[in-house]
Amino acid sequence: MNCEQCQELIHDLVDGQISQRDEFTLNTHLRECLDCDSVRQDLAAIVTFCQSHRGEYQGPPNEQALWLRIRNVIEAENGTRKPVQKESGNPSFVSRWLNHTWQLSLPQLAASTAAIILLVSLATVVGVRRWGTEGVRTAPAPLEASNTSVNDRVFQRTQAINYWNQRVEMNKARWSPEMRETFDRNMRVIDEAVTNSLNDLNRNPHDEVSEQMLNESLNDKLALLKEFSDL
Amino acid sequence: MTRRSPVRASFFAVGALLTLVSLSAGLAVNAQQQISKRYPGGKNIRVELRNISGTIVVESWNKNEIRLSATIESKNAHVEPRQINDCLMVDVMGDNRGRGDIGDINFKVQVPPNSSVDVETRRGNISVANVRSGLVRAYVSSEGDITLTNISATHVVAQNVIGDIFFDGEFSSGGTYEFKSTKGNITIRIPGDSAFRLVAASPTKQIKLNDFWNNGFKTQDGRKYVGDVGDGRSSVSVTNFSGSITFLRR
Repeated sequence: MNCEQCQELIHDLVDGQISQRDEFTLNTHLRECLDCDSVRQDLAAIVTFCQSHRGEYQGPPNEQALWLRIRNVIEAENGTRKPVQKESGNPSFVSRWLNHTWQLSLPQLAASTAAIILLVSLATVVGVRRWGTEGVRTAPAPLEASNTSVNDRVFQRTQAINYWNQRVEMNKARWSPEMRETFDRNMRVIDEAVTNSLNDLNRNPHDEVSEQMLNESLNDKLALLKEFSDL
Repeated sequence: MTRRSPVRASFFAVGALLTLVSLSAGLAVNAQQQISKRYPGGKNIRVELRNISGTIVVESWNKNEIRLSATIESKNAHVEPRQINDCLMVDVMGDNRGRGDIGDINFKVQVPPNSSVDVETRRGNISVANVRSGLVRAYVSSEGDITLTNISATHVVAQNVIGDIFFDGEFSSGGTYEFKSTKGNITIRIPGDSAFRLVAASPTKQIKLNDFWNNGFKTQDGRKYVGDVGDGRSSVSVTNFSGSITFLRR
């Protein structure tokens, strides 16, 4: 038995799924080969740790895919080209395709590259035509829910503002007079910006600049309240 | 036994009163605390300062160490800087939770030129000078001027509600720059060959691009400008609700 065959069998050994004959051969090799024995000890330690801490950590959403990727990386580093799903008797089409070694000639490589460039260009053109807008594009609105109306969004923000406002009012008495004046003065300035933006939007409901300003001023108001509620 | 004349007595009383007043004023001055501490520098120095009220001045010097000086108005205030690896952190808010009003604390921080600077205060002016690093962030929650002089950083953020913002420096390739005020003037002074993509918005239509204007800019009736200057290597966003936005050539 060589080291490569041995390390394949080590997994089965640690999983307790090894035949008696293989186990005997493997143990013979492990007694002679310190490297492989070290691999077995490491793997056994990892499995023991995982078993003793079972349930303490949340598994990744697709555990099998993660293990496949890990094994792929390990095997790639070891220079082996074995299929990853040895234990699975009937590997899926995707896994077979993913684990296939692609060896392309120069013309094939050139043709593949040209095809990819063509596809990307087509997708870009279609995307620009489909989603592109003319004129100036505004920055993404900090207020989510693009389908909701401006009034709905203002209402949502107002709920949060009211909450933080109550917290500020509770603490305000502790502030120095200068701090209170500063806060009130800044709040008035932001309120003015909110009012102006709302007025502009009432005049022109589809004005992107006014909508952006309204969103930002409401966010600024919320930020100011949050900052001062700590004082 | 001689008796003092009323005039001499009144002179004596006024003198005593003046002495008392000057003594109490002296005591009040002494109530201010001064701290000055030095911290060793490293490869990637970062200064994070969270103040409540007071000025923050950050400037570079030619030493591989940080010097933090502070004038603390109230004797109740605590300032406990912490250094974790290459990062010096001062959290006035955290250090003084539950202590009530602690008055102004004015900071001066001297840093090596390649330090990242992240400073903020609820109220007060911020000034950062001669820094060349990855980050310069100056944030005033309410009112205070922000002055950033001779800055060359990959990411710059300057934001306040009331107060002017002045930036004098360079835009690095691939960098991001954000300037925002609700009521104040924003002035950006950069080299003539700067290359950046600009999004500037001011509902009051006070946007002056001067030498950086070109026909490629798109505008929405003067309230918002979007366009590239040069090859648009860096990204610049300027928003001002009721003040001017001015670009100047360095």
